[in-house]
Amino acid sequence: MTAPLALSLLLAASSVTFNRDVRPILSDKCFACHGPDAKTKNIPLRLDVETEARRVIAPGQPDASELMRRVTAAQPARRMPPAFTGHQLTEKEVATLRQWIAEGAAWQKHWAFLPPERAPIPAVKNPAWPRQDLDRFILARLEAEGLAPTPEAAPETLLRRAAIDLTGLPPTPAELAAFRADRSPRAYENAVDRLLASPRYGERMAVRWLDAARYADSNGYQFDGERVMWRWRDWVIEAFNRNLPHNQFALEQLAGDLLPNPTFDQRLATGFNRNHRGNTEDGIIPEEYAVEYVVDRVETTSTVFLGLTLGCARCHNHKYDPFTQQEFYRMFAYFNNIPENGRAMKYGNSPPLMRAPTRSQQQSLAKLDAQIAVQRTAAAHAPAATEEHWWPQAGLQAWFPFDFAERAEPAGRWGKAARLDGTASVDFAGVAQHDITEHFSWAAWVKLDATTGALLSHMSDSPRGRGIGLYAEDGRLHFHLTSNYDSDALRVDSREAALTPGRWQHVAVTYDGTVSAAGIHLYVDGRELPFKVDQETLYRPLRNAGGKFNEPLRIGGGGGKDNRLRGLVDDVLIYGRVLSGAEVAAIAGHAPASVPRRIDAAWRSLEALEYERDLLVRTFPTSMVMAENAERRPTHLLLRGAYDKPGEKVEPGVPAVLPPLRAGALNNRLGLAQWLIDPKHPLTARVAVNRIWQLHFGTGLVKTVEDFGQQGEWPSHPELLDWLATEFVRTGWDMKAMHRLIVTSAAYRQSSRATPELLQRDPENRLLARGPRYRLAAEMIRDASLQAAGLLHEKLGGPSVKPYQPDGLWNELAMQDMHYSRSQGADLYRRGLYTFWKRTIAPPMMVNFDAANREACVVKENRTNTPLQALNLMNDVTFLEAAKFIAQRMIREGGPDSAARLRHGFELVLSRTPRAAEMGVLRDNLAYHLDYFASPEKAQEFLAQGESKTDTSLAPRELAAYSAVASLLLNLDEAVTKE
Amino acid sequence: MMTNPLDLTRRHFFGRTATGVGLAALGSLLGRDAEAAADAALPHHAAKAKRVIYLFQHGAPSQLDLFDYKPALAAQRGKDLPDSIRKGQRLTGMTAFQTTFPTAPSVFKFAQHGKAGTWMSELLPHTAKLADKFCVIKSMHTEAINHDPAVTFFQTGFQLAGRPSMGAWLSYGLGSLNQDLPAFVVMVSQGKGNSQALADRAWGSGFLPTRYQGVKFRAAQDPVLYLSNPAGYEPAARRRFLDDLGKMNTMKHEEMQDPEIATRIAQYEMAYRMQTSVPELTDLTKEPQSVFDLYGPDARTPGTYAANCILARRLAERGVRFIQLFHRGWDQHNNLPRDLPRQTEQTDQPTAALLQDLKNRGMLDDTLVIWGGEFGRTVYSQGELTETNYGRDHHPRCFTMWMAGGGTRGGQTYGETDDFSYNIIENPVDIHDLHATSLHLLGVDHTRLTFKFQGRHYRLTDVHGRVVRGLLS
Repeated sequence: MTAPLALSLLLAASSVTFNRDVRPILSDKCFACHGPDAKTKNIPLRLDVETEARRVIAPGQPDASELMRRVTAAQPARRMPPAFTGHQLTEKEVATLRQWIAEGAAWQKHWAFLPPERAPIPAVKNPAWPRQDLDRFILARLEAEGLAPTPEAAPETLLRRAAIDLTGLPPTPAELAAFRADRSPRAYENAVDRLLASPRYGERMAVRWLDAARYADSNGYQFDGERVMWRWRDWVIEAFNRNLPHNQFALEQLAGDLLPNPTFDQRLATGFNRNHRGNTEDGIIPEEYAVEYVVDRVETTSTVFLGLTLGCARCHNHKYDPFTQQEFYRMFAYFNNIPENGRAMKYGNSPPLMRAPTRSQQQSLAKLDAQIAVQRTAAAHAPAATEEHWWPQAGLQAWFPFDFAERAEPAGRWGKAARLDGTASVDFAGVAQHDITEHFSWAAWVKLDATTGALLSHMSDSPRGRGIGLYAEDGRLHFHLTSNYDSDALRVDSREAALTPGRWQHVAVTYDGTVSAAGIHLYVDGRELPFKVDQETLYRPLRNAGGKFNEPLRIGGGGGKDNRLRGLVDDVLIYGRVLSGAEVAAIAGHAPASVPRRIDAAWRSLEALEYERDLLVRTFPTSMVMAENAERRPTHLLLRGAYDKPGEKVEPGVPAVLPPLRAGALNNRLGLAQWLIDPKHPLTARVAVNRIWQLHFGTGLVKTVEDFGQQGEWPSHPELLDWLATEFVRTGWDMKAMHRLIVTSAAYRQSSRATPELLQRDPENRLLARGPRYRLAAEMIRDASLQAAGLLHEKLGGPSVKPYQPDGLWNELAMQDMHYSRSQGADLYRRGLYTFWKRTIAPPMMVNFDAANREACVVKENRTNTPLQALNLMNDVTFLEAAKFIAQRMIREGGPDSAARLRHGFELVLSRTPRAAEMGVLRDNLAYHLDYFASPEKAQEFLAQGESKTDTSLAPRELAAYSAVASLLLNLDEAVTKE
Repeated sequence: MMTNPLDLTRRHFFGRTATGVGLAALGSLLGRDAEAAADAALPHHAAKAKRVIYLFQHGAPSQLDLFDYKPALAAQRGKDLPDSIRKGQRLTGMTAFQTTFPTAPSVFKFAQHGKAGTWMSELLPHTAKLADKFCVIKSMHTEAINHDPAVTFFQTGFQLAGRPSMGAWLSYGLGSLNQDLPAFVVMVSQGKGNSQALADRAWGSGFLPTRYQGVKFRAAQDPVLYLSNPAGYEPAARRRFLDDLGKMNTMKHEEMQDPEIATRIAQYEMAYRMQTSVPELTDLTKEPQSVFDLYGPDARTPGTYAANCILARRLAERGVRFIQLFHRGWDQHNNLPRDLPRQTEQTDQPTAALLQDLKNRGMLDDTLVIWGGEFGRTVYSQGELTETNYGRDHHPRCFTMWMAGGGTRGGQTYGETDDFSYNIIENPVDIHDLHATSLHLLGVDHTRLTFKFQGRHYRLTDVHGRVVRGLLS
């Protein structure tokens, strides 16, 4: 049978429209050669440019047109498209071209590159049906097709539909009861308002945005180590909940860091374009992946906001759309100015990043800062207590004064000192066991015999060894953290040769665990020394791959025998925190005025508070953000897209086919973002409302939500798309208002019941003569089951969690130190959007139910129907445990008799009252299972699912039987479907 | 997901047959759609191979120590690799900083085998006995120099994740020959050497509908995730459960007329059948002792490469279209003389046994067997070269694979490399060529198996690939 595949076949209209009917044929079958990239192939004819195409078209005279002669040529050698392309025109396509030429061959610019035009609201024959203006567009089309809308869905069905669409969860029995009790004609609208105000709204909207933003909790590629981006994820949820307008939503995510005096939230928002994968594999060439990250940003940004497949122009001019390769690299230039390394951190976040305390951590910090301010005043006015020299002791891990050692040198800086003769170091096992993401400070007094030698280290005793070391090198202070000397290290050298042999000097280094040179401070005699960065490519911890690193603290050694120190060392201090410059100065005996030379209780409590603050700050999660190099990194076109084949230099800029930047606009990422949200931009609003439409109806008005270019599909309702886009801008890009508009429309409120005729006529429901009906997204299926069971833990935000998944999935594929440690307690029952997403081994239930893979940007919703889904719903502990708790609710809340209990369970899962026939099946099923579970062993075994304990007073036989029925309910088509 | 016409035909099929759960309907569930052949004109030509068993040696086995015999290297031992050979080729981040590149001849002995005199090292005694059954390709090359992009390239024809795997393409194009099993099955076994990470997306469906992705069979209680009923729930109860579920879903279908409901009913039936067919398949207890003897000492241990090879044969017998084994642990950056034999000890006998077993059953002729890793290894030593020890870094410019059965020309060595096994000097074969040739053997023209995504007609071989005639019988 031939299915009506193309929307154009549904059309009653008989005349041919270029954009709707002709351009798709030319684009799909001809542009690959006779398109924007024709010149590169030395092809003399372009069919995407009107003036050129006219050379082979005689308007009104198909037979005199070379175009028609070539596409109908009998001789294979002359016929277009040539056989080698694998394309051929169908008879219908040839007929369309013929008709178009016969009707005068009118040409139109590609619709999506022209600004949306607000068409008048169409007249309809049945003015009683529309509830919103948008309905008139739908109805006018239906009337033209000779179709009538389907009557409104039952109220419960409608409530469940809207609740799922707006909050991702079906209504609870209480919500259902409130809705039923609301007798006002606005009961449904009231419910919609309540749903839009629910915090669950932000979570629901966030999930699809996370798909688009390729959000994940791991870096991807080969090693796929953990990263921490949930603070950005929580920003998204909050942004939806506070109804941040879409233009601002876009602006802050693309360029929040470049706004004047950006707020904490605006900087956090820019994590959007840091969600791409990061490669940490040992053998990579970092420059190659640095390019991939920028390409990913261009592709994601253009897909999400512009609905364009710009990525196709990376290696050559776009084959279908008017984007040159040069234009791709001009867009690339906007995203190519980030201070980043092509090699990502193996564990954790890669710079640039920010500390991103949660709201409650921010409150704790503010409280502590207030206490510190008070204590500081108190300390300043405190009377002198003793004359002892003050030095910080909070966070001190070890102190080596050498005053009690028998063989120590008597003439130390303070008391005795250690003498080193260049043959051996003084080693202390178990001290200074820092790693690269930890805070620490080292300090010591030294009196050198020569200008070069190891001072302090926690590293192997071999040249270019692994570990951490502080050295004197030709009088300069040298500090390094090294995982691999050549490729994986952070090394700095003071610019000044501040170390002089023969006198006591104080040396110190502090490091804040950020794996960047900016996190290092070097001091000599309490004075901070500027340094130059020799290498900044550290990405693997010392305790890599779960391994050990037990090198001792070596005083005067580390890095091999040639590096050992000759001279004296005294008062070595090891701290597990970052000392301030003032504190280092105090130790060095050069205390500034703000630090007293005399110890005092007030000062000790201030110090304790400061230390507490340091400990608190250390618990703050970080989040990767965008940042801008002070000096713009030059961008070159890359020949064939290869990182090592730079071509001509290009400047940032937007594609010529789209409107230019406004005069005087900044030509950087911020300027790009402002250009994108210009109310007159032809694409941004259309693309956004189209995705909102997809979210409610399952398919966009433009079905190819990711492609509004010439290969994209012609909109099912072009005037409606433009009307919605202009309405969106007119209402201030108000997302909640747009959702409200759609879900309160008559089109949306129709029953989704189909008829065989309608299925035949419009199988994909593009005309909307019926309401939407399709399977729930992966996370919704799980969330709904947990909610029905009463297990759902509605905590908003926080670190990602690890719910049930079959044992061993990570170990089978991942590196040796990656283990899935299942969460405990309430964290087993969080909403699906909080499930830890490991890119290379995604949560299996999510994968089974078509979740986006989070490898790269996905905006299109994808639904299949497979036996693996059936097995998943029947046998996964998640759903079996949920069934058990639904059973418990049926028994405890449903009432004494089985019919009432079955009804209650049915309503918990399906949000409606069962029909008699349905009750009949459920009763029989319950009876069967009561009989089946007469064996106590079977019942006990069956009930041993999941971590949560059921009420022990319930009879196992009964609980097991009701559990089986509840499992049946969870497996119903209707349970996993938005109806 | 409706961009694919196959989906629409499936929907319409169910639309017409209401709640029918007929055989033809089931055919569309895990495998190809009943009417897809007409739509896609597949196969494009007569197929030599009906199915593929792909033995992926994950981590990259050393061609220099297994197949690519270089007697002249002995004289070069310890000498720096000449610049005339290296030609400034880019190196991985692991050896790019090395100041010397000492040539490391293999410590293993080589001999010629079979009528064709195929060179193989002493590490592959069992495979060597079947030398005339397979075609050694010494001139494979790739662009990737690291595991993840290299594996992704082999699996999907592109270095970055996101495209469908070869098995998914075949599952989409050709479907399964069995209505009770998936068209594309994957099994992973653990080696004894340095293991690199693998990812589920290696057998993913990319932008194809997810039902074409590989189904991983595991050596766990559930060979397929969630296959087993919960404890205490017997097949009879599950049958009753499904009958009642079907009744209620049928009522729903009558009310709503949505063809997806009918499909779902059929999928539950398919799931039920898999609950029987998969355990029957993975249960090796009925295999005779002679089979275990053939496949070697590991064969009785579930999850080993040897056990997976037996399973591969059983899957092939049952009509699974694309069977892919991944054996980890071939990444010998150092201690190669110690670690490589541990890998071959696990794999040599079972690999040979699989070929022999297929041949004994008359299945080798229409089963294409592919053996190989994601790239080769360097002739120069990574780290220190001693009398008895060396390591080898990643080498993309040449490496060895072999193909057997399914219309390939066995008993030959194809392509040649220079004296250092560093560059190809004759008949290069790239990954697209390997894909094009494999598809050709399966009756598929690689330029015509396409899927439109984001405006572009994608194919496994991207815009590359040629059928290598010299490999065909």
